[in-house]
Amino acid sequence: MSIQNTCRYISIATFSCLMWLLAVPVLAQSDTPAVDSLSTTNLKKHDSAGRQLCLGIDVVRIGANSFYNDRYAYEFQVDYYARNEFYLAAEGGWGGSKVNYDDLKYTTTNSFVQFGFNKSILSRSSKTDWDMMMMGMRAGFANVNRSPVTYTVVDSVWGNTGTQSIGPTSFPVFWLEVTGGMRVEIVRGLFAGWNIRGKFVMNGKSFRDLSPLFIAGYGKGDKNANFDFNLYISYGIRWNRKGPPAKTKS
Amino acid sequence: MTRIRYSLLAFLSIVIIVSMACTQQRQPCLTPKTASLIIGTVHFKTDTSTVTVDTTLPHATFYPLSSQLNYVTVYPPQASFTVSLSPDTNYCQWLFETDSLKHIPDTVSFYYQRSAKFLSNACGFTYFYNIDSVHSTHLIIDSLHILNNSVTNNVNTKHLQIYIHRNF
Repeated sequence: MSIQNTCRYISIATFSCLMWLLAVPVLAQSDTPAVDSLSTTNLKKHDSAGRQLCLGIDVVRIGANSFYNDRYAYEFQVDYYARNEFYLAAEGGWGGSKVNYDDLKYTTTNSFVQFGFNKSILSRSSKTDWDMMMMGMRAGFANVNRSPVTYTVVDSVWGNTGTQSIGPTSFPVFWLEVTGGMRVEIVRGLFAGWNIRGKFVMNGKSFRDLSPLFIAGYGKGDKNANFDFNLYISYGIRWNRKGPPAKTKS
Repeated sequence: MTRIRYSLLAFLSIVIIVSMACTQQRQPCLTPKTASLIIGTVHFKTDTSTVTVDTTLPHATFYPLSSQLNYVTVYPPQASFTVSLSPDTNYCQWLFETDSLKHIPDTVSFYYQRSAKFLSNACGFTYFYNIDSVHSTHLIIDSLHILNNSVTNNVNTKHLQIYIHRNF
């Protein structure tokens, strides 16, 4: 097993453990209202919470750009609180890759967008509590532009072939993803949070003739499924917050 | 609860940075990069028999003719051999001896079509082949039979059967 695979498995195992650790307090919170008075059972917290538009940037991508010299990406996210702990979410960004091996050379660039929703599974402690632990789904689209490709076939018996080339091309990539994560309000309006993402390409066969090394938004182009994570710093703009929630008669 | 969340955020950041630091620049190539043509050697049990048996050759030797490289493969006793086709042309020849000590060479000529195939970013490109025909001289070789025309990097497919004279 390579060092890279070992690191990957350790990361996945760590994330899984942390998800479980976080789930315990959530389950504990969901049990508490049963003990509370009747006045809190019928609170419609989403009504009093108002609206929130949250804009964020993925700082992992920025950090990763300095680690990798063969790929780069920038990713932004926006979500809008609709109601019932339900958020409309979108992400977008751009990036590219540069393959410069002895036997294979090309570059790709792409921009991407993805739309979907998040559902918070963390009960609010108050109407000002915007911390969330969420699960969600996305549909993603990217348009990849690939430069001309030059390659050499390495052969130990007959000797390497001369340099061959393939012309430039553009192609779309569609994928679906499931995501989960958490977000914490560090100071008023400023959030930090992470997402784990499982991504599944829908039209992988259409570009298997030369799968890109990296597709910003999706990940490795020659994989049918990718595991990814983001660490967002975001800012929430709020409005339409109402006064104390109305208490209903039982 | 809040303190736990902040701690998790900080810990996750460290995990992410460590996992990125572990990433290699080019992934190792884990699939066969060269499309190999697999040959089996057989002979008829008797002169009149249609039943064949595998022929274990004592020290079979293969030389690629017109290769840029000085490449010779001497096999231990066995009945299955692997050769590659030239990726630069649609034709290549191999010199074939059943026993490196006897020096009775036959020439096997392969005619084929090539198609470039992208394996992965880790492995790069290779050529897959479609065999049109195979011919040989007949000092030791009795005849040839193509079992599978398609030569890919699948190492489990036998492509060519060489019928050896019974008293080689």
